[in-house]
Amino acid sequence: MATVITVDHLRKVYGRTVAVDDLSFSVERGEIFGILGPNGAGKTTTVECVQGLRTADGGTVRVLGLDPTTQAAELRQRVGSQLQDSALPGRLRVGESLELFAAFARHPVDSEQLITRWRLQEQRDQAFDSLSGGQRQRLFIALAFVNSPELVFLDELTQGLDPQARRATWDLIREIREGGTTVVLVTHFMDEAEQLCDRIAVVDDGKVVAIDTPQGLVDGLGMQSVVRFTSPEPDLGWLEQLEVVESVSRRADAVEVRGNGPVLALVASKLVARGIVPLDLRVERPTVEDAFLNLTGRRIRG
Amino acid sequence: MTAMGGYVAMTRAEFRLFRREPFSIVFVLAFPLMMMMLLSAVFGNDQADAQDVENGMLVWRGVTPTDYYTAASVAVIIAALGLMTLPINLAGYRERGILRRLRASSVSVWILVSAQLTLALVTFVAGALVMGVVAWLAYDAMVPQDVIGVFVALVFGTAAFGALGLLLAAVVRSSRSAQGIGLLLFFAMWLISGTAPPRAVLPSGLSDLGGVLPLAPLVTALQDPWFGFGWSATDLAFLTGYAFAAGVPALWLFRRD
Repeated sequence: MATVITVDHLRKVYGRTVAVDDLSFSVERGEIFGILGPNGAGKTTTVECVQGLRTADGGTVRVLGLDPTTQAAELRQRVGSQLQDSALPGRLRVGESLELFAAFARHPVDSEQLITRWRLQEQRDQAFDSLSGGQRQRLFIALAFVNSPELVFLDELTQGLDPQARRATWDLIREIREGGTTVVLVTHFMDEAEQLCDRIAVVDDGKVVAIDTPQGLVDGLGMQSVVRFTSPEPDLGWLEQLEVVESVSRRADAVEVRGNGPVLALVASKLVARGIVPLDLRVERPTVEDAFLNLTGRRIRG
Repeated sequence: MTAMGGYVAMTRAEFRLFRREPFSIVFVLAFPLMMMMLLSAVFGNDQADAQDVENGMLVWRGVTPTDYYTAASVAVIIAALGLMTLPINLAGYRERGILRRLRASSVSVWILVSAQLTLALVTFVAGALVMGVVAWLAYDAMVPQDVIGVFVALVFGTAAFGALGLLLAAVVRSSRSAQGIGLLLFFAMWLISGTAPPRAVLPSGLSDLGGVLPLAPLVTALQDPWFGFGWSATDLAFLTGYAFAAGVPALWLFRRD
């Protein structure tokens, strides 16, 4: 796979505040790459430097083989971007905004197509000021795709969206990736990062503290899976003989099995083989959130 | 042809926005027109032959008050566009994150400024035409004697006030402060630059102060060819000075932003 973004020892200082300090990562073509971190970690500054909207104080950045500070014009024709805290003129309408931005694109996407895809049909003739938060967000996402980008930056993608719209947006982002577009997702939502991203860079205090797949981050924790079910069966001690199981404990009928690896699948198959079929068999696995708290929380407290 | 197509699209959007919220009409159309009519009414048009003004001060530069104020009010339109419309719009765009949004999508600030200037130019021409026609029909005011000279003065005046507007937009942080500072500068200049009371009746200190601000040179640069007095090289040079003194830092600030 080709590398589309290389960030090497990036540094950005605002006055005395070091926003980004010696930050490095790379993004491969076709992946959804997440930048996850608490507020103020330097995520937005990083992607703004990568897009050439800010000039770095140190380090090198290459995007699609271009230098974002000196080749910004060429770069902006090939990347799309949905920015945090931006706006459009209050009286400009949705349809007009899409047409306006399309006029600057070398390879514009038909604005009707974007309106349909991002469910803005009913807002077409509505002015920007009269849109709800979620509608504005959808418009900004649509604008990010107006120039048929090879690479899009989505900064807090689902901010202001209701749960249904969030799910729908995630599906559309996956669909866009299927079309070959690389996606850089800046977020502080754990579930979003876990659901969407192929790889995640966890950023804290202007530094990358971990880069891995969501699964890799979770595995790196070394935390156990917990399988729970209820069963009247008196003796379940034999479950401990399974290699993946570390411990079995029970309180009345409630059984708790702890272990590493595919605990649920192996426990389930053994139970079924012995004719024990609990209705409520479920697993609690550590999530990206646990990994995140582990990676950043420890640093903050330490 | 993205640049040209972009400029056309941006200009069209700006015209639409103007049509939906024609706020700047107050100062670029209504105010100068109203002042021209009021001042003409106040000072009357029959008493002059101003050459015969008794104290010999040639208060109206040797023309009738209406002739005087028609030419001066055209200068006021340019000042209103440069000191208020342009900075208020641009500062608002910056404050709300619109500039950033545009820049991230290949829309340079210069395309936006060009579109705004185009809009300003059209509003100016409309304002000046209305002014001229009203003055001509109602008061039989003088039409420009030297059209080319007037045009040249307008170009220099636009450059000076356009640059001031850009500088103002670059240094203020919000649309509200642009409004405040713009209004203040506008009215201060309007009162002492010969656009309200003629400069000949001002105390010398105020008159001198007015003389170094950009509106008074624009008024003279515009009136001289309008009344057939020839071109005023000094005033044109003054306006050029302002265009560079304000324009260069403004360009630098916007580029850096």
